[in-house]
Amino acid sequence: MTLRRPPTRAELRRQRMEELVTYPLDWLEERSGLVGGIRYFLFRNVPSDVNWMQTLGSAALTAFLVQAITGVILAMYYTPSAATDPATGKPVAYESIQNITDHLTLGWLVRGMHRWGASVFIILMFLHMGRVFLFGAYKYPRELNWIVGVLILVLGMMEGFTGYLLPWDQTAYWATVVGINLNGTAPFLGPWLAQFLRSGQEITGETLTRFYSLHMLVIPAGIMALIGLHLYLVIRLGVSSPPWSKEAAGMEPAEEEPVPARRPGLMRPVPRGAGAAAIQAEPGGRD
Amino acid sequence: MAAIPKEKPSRIEEERAQFARYKADVKARGKPFYPYAMFHDTIMSLVVVAVIIGLAAIWKWTSYGPHHDPTHPGLLGPEVTAPADPGTTSFVPRPDWYFYFLFYLLRIFKWPESVFLGTVGIPTICLILLFALPFLDRRRERRISARPVAMVAGVLTILSMAVLTWKGATAHEALASEVIADVPSWIQKEHLPPAAVPGAKLFATAGCTACHTYAGAGGSNLGAPDLTAIGSRHLGISFQIRHLQCPSCVNPGSPMPHFASLGYKRLHELAVFLEASKGVH
Amino acid sequence: MEPEQPSPDTERASLHEETQVPPPTLWPAGFAIGVVVILVGLVVHPELISPIGAAIAVVFGYLWARDATAELRGRAIVVEPERRERPEPREPAAPTGLEGVAPRPAVETAVTRSRFLEGATLGLGGVIGGLITVPVAGFAILPSYLGQKQHKVDLGPLSMFPLGQWFVATFTTDPAEGEVSRRTAFIRNNGTVADPKTGQMVPSFTIISNRCAHLGCPVQANGPSGAILGQKTVFERTANGKVRLIPVVPAGYGCPCHGGQYDTEGNRTAGPPVRALDRYAFEIDNGRLVLLSTYSVSHVVGTGAQAKIYKYQEAGPGQHVDGPEQWFYPLQPPHH
Repeated sequence: MTLRRPPTRAELRRQRMEELVTYPLDWLEERSGLVGGIRYFLFRNVPSDVNWMQTLGSAALTAFLVQAITGVILAMYYTPSAATDPATGKPVAYESIQNITDHLTLGWLVRGMHRWGASVFIILMFLHMGRVFLFGAYKYPRELNWIVGVLILVLGMMEGFTGYLLPWDQTAYWATVVGINLNGTAPFLGPWLAQFLRSGQEITGETLTRFYSLHMLVIPAGIMALIGLHLYLVIRLGVSSPPWSKEAAGMEPAEEEPVPARRPGLMRPVPRGAGAAAIQAEPGGRD
Repeated sequence: MAAIPKEKPSRIEEERAQFARYKADVKARGKPFYPYAMFHDTIMSLVVVAVIIGLAAIWKWTSYGPHHDPTHPGLLGPEVTAPADPGTTSFVPRPDWYFYFLFYLLRIFKWPESVFLGTVGIPTICLILLFALPFLDRRRERRISARPVAMVAGVLTILSMAVLTWKGATAHEALASEVIADVPSWIQKEHLPPAAVPGAKLFATAGCTACHTYAGAGGSNLGAPDLTAIGSRHLGISFQIRHLQCPSCVNPGSPMPHFASLGYKRLHELAVFLEASKGVH
Repeated sequence: MEPEQPSPDTERASLHEETQVPPPTLWPAGFAIGVVVILVGLVVHPELISPIGAAIAVVFGYLWARDATAELRGRAIVVEPERRERPEPREPAAPTGLEGVAPRPAVETAVTRSRFLEGATLGLGGVIGGLITVPVAGFAILPSYLGQKQHKVDLGPLSMFPLGQWFVATFTTDPAEGEVSRRTAFIRNNGTVADPKTGQMVPSFTIISNRCAHLGCPVQANGPSGAILGQKTVFERTANGKVRLIPVVPAGYGCPCHGGQYDTEGNRTAGPPVRALDRYAFEIDNGRLVLLSTYSVSHVVGTGAQAKIYKYQEAGPGQHVDGPEQWFYPLQPPHH
């Protein structure tokens, strides 16, 4: 037991302030158990030698969140219609993006962030994948996490593909023509898959709305579910140490190669004088 | 009593033991995620958001060019491109940059029987290998120096994807819609006389650059020679016309198509251009 | 985790030890209704309705106050606590324990209650799932394959197509769809040819689609056109909207995507295309050239009016129509 004197006024104030914070948290925890979960996530131990390279995963998550938020805002102003606006002769979808870029406050910023955020997201996913490969963090017990991660990568690239069509300009249209036809060359089911993606035999306005639905609803739902699973596995299985770390967590006590014993005849000790002379007289010397 | 020899533990038992050691190590010597590791994550996330905003800003402010033209390419490409035209004959389709490696793979497999390798064969195999990696590499070893196969495979993958992406980015087909813009620089580089200019424009739009290279433009296909200095061979205008009308008559086995349909007047213009092309000085 | 701190609620005595408070009465509700009627009456009919509301409010207000102050005025409140009949303690079950269970046959094949319920739950769940998903999936999937329209494209009178002249023709196949149905074809009037069936001379056109047979990129003509050719582009208006005819002198066709090259009959001469370019079937209707649906071509022998075209049902780009690879695509989705 330390102090026995009565608490000072400052200490009482602090105590009451702490209670003010902990009371709602305890209320929530008692009724849901969520606070405990968050506390576990925040205060769990990670190896003390974690590297900066291991921030790439959360960086990819941040990029995805940027995409989600800017995407939601863009969806409030974008119209997925390939019909031609009779007033201007341009497609309605194309014009809605012009409107976002030119007329809405900071519309250019949201659109630009969404477009470049896609590339950043994919780059970060590849870098993160490379880091995991380098660290050997796909081995036991993280095999399932690797598979989930590859699925997220594939879905991420599909998200990029479906989103590429939405501006409905020349690049969008023709990249989609080739992409869908590529799927169509798969044996047996290829033509059916291509026709399903295209919603018909030719690319029409229905293709645009279909891609919009895939891009906004189906693939993001898949990505978010998989990210949830991915994060759960990371928290459950733990973060690995860098493989080159001297105090890597989980390292076996005697992991260095034992020094090979001296074998007679193999490493004959060279007499001093002869050694020095031997070094000076190099065969095929420099002069 | 004879001592029972201790059996070597199975792989899964060793893996479990290592994982248990890992958990114990982290519990004993680890640091709390918040604030230590989360601080690094936050800094990195800030960098990511700053980069995204920066790219968006640079895109807007460089894409307008000196005359406030949103179709001006700028550093990061134009902000405005032409609306979709399904009936175009001058557009060069390209996918988004992260698909360039697949795009270039399609350009590698030119023989029709091998096309499926580029479209579905190789990408599917690579994806399967990627999924199956934890089951292909089951060694517990994580030190880089002791994983030669993994490191070599990883480096090769990264290099090949980088090279394929770069080649995809710089690939061009040299068809009429792209090459016609090069004609002024040809006139300058080759010091072409005015009589050769109609032939230069014909050369640019007739698809010759699909197989021939000329002054740095065009692609080399089917063994077609570079024509930058074809005039210095002094083959003569009449030879050029005869060759253009029926290449395989003059040069047996030549895969070059016949250009007789252009008509004598245009063939003559082309011949004048070819004979005037004495090389870049 | 920190130990649970006792919250104020748990400090209260458990329920079965103290008397329950009296149940809530309806007097406050009546009072509230009275107030509402007063206010409504003020708007609707102050003289008649508001006094009624006032009367209601006063009556219920009095009753409410009387109840609320009952304790103050010393009246005892008697409330029956909730009682429940305790079940008779059961004797421990006999070792056989056969009460309530149907006698089992010797062989374990009877459908027990639990197994029936399991099966019924899964079965009904499956039915519900099917009822929801099948129509929805049908809605999402089937329309892609059904109702493919055949297009007729009116390209104008035959006089627009001089003999032997190639045109790059751009048209919309379905004006109702608008620009998204714009397509391009390379057209040449070959003159006339004897119909093999009737022997009569019929017009012959070479009409080649500009979608590459490799992956569908827009194929360009390798040859001068427009200003370089010195000929004007022709615009006309037909039932299919605006049609544009650009004269061109091609030596072949080339694709900007992956290096495919074709000759003037659409045969592949270089690059990855797996077959020749698709062609449009056509008919002459009232002296006007009308394009019908496209069909796929493996190769063409000969040129112009004498060309022998090896036709196949329309296949998507990249799909072989002849040779052993055609068996990779045994079943094509419905076409028009």
